[in-house]
Amino acid sequence: MSFAPSSSDPKTEIMNQIRQEAAVANARQLVEKLNEHCFERCVPKPGASLSSGETTCYTTCMEKYMAAWNTVSRQYVARIQRESAAAPRY
Amino acid sequence: MDSSITLGGSPGADLTKLSDREKQELQQFVVNESQKARIQQSIHSLTDICFRKCITGKMSSGKLDRTEEPCMQNCVDRFMDANMTVLRQLEQMRTQM
Repeated sequence: MSFAPSSSDPKTEIMNQIRQEAAVANARQLVEKLNEHCFERCVPKPGASLSSGETTCYTTCMEKYMAAWNTVSRQYVARIQRESAAAPRY
Repeated sequence: MDSSITLGGSPGADLTKLSDREKQELQQFVVNESQKARIQQSIHSLTDICFRKCITGKMSSGKLDRTEEPCMQNCVDRFMDANMTVLRQLEQMRTQM
């Protein structure tokens, strides 16, 4: 996350704040989903601590989920671009 | 609404100092960012749903294998098709009432 210098003009400052808020919200959502899915997959029976197997599972799961996210992102954006090009404007 | 934006708890810029043109540009920027945020939200939802459907069993690698990748792609497309079906069907039901 990059932080804009506070000496820029008000408009740029506001734009940067909005961008930052959006980035934070997106990151928060991603962390929530990663935790949800990977806890379910990797820690079926919580023990007294996280085993090394469970930690390795987490790494694999996170990579997998983010790969899935990227695939969905590409597919979704391509689809809405196609649909907005084809759809008549009322 | 007061004239300064506070986001994330820190003091922000003063809106009253903006020219009309700047306000207009900001308006457009907000519209664009809102749309981008909605798209991000949809992607999160779809990934959530499709991950459950497509990534089953033991995860051997951090990449999508040759069945998982097409499954994810199909999932997105079929979900969008199904969404269209819902809208069309609802419209039909609405006109029949």
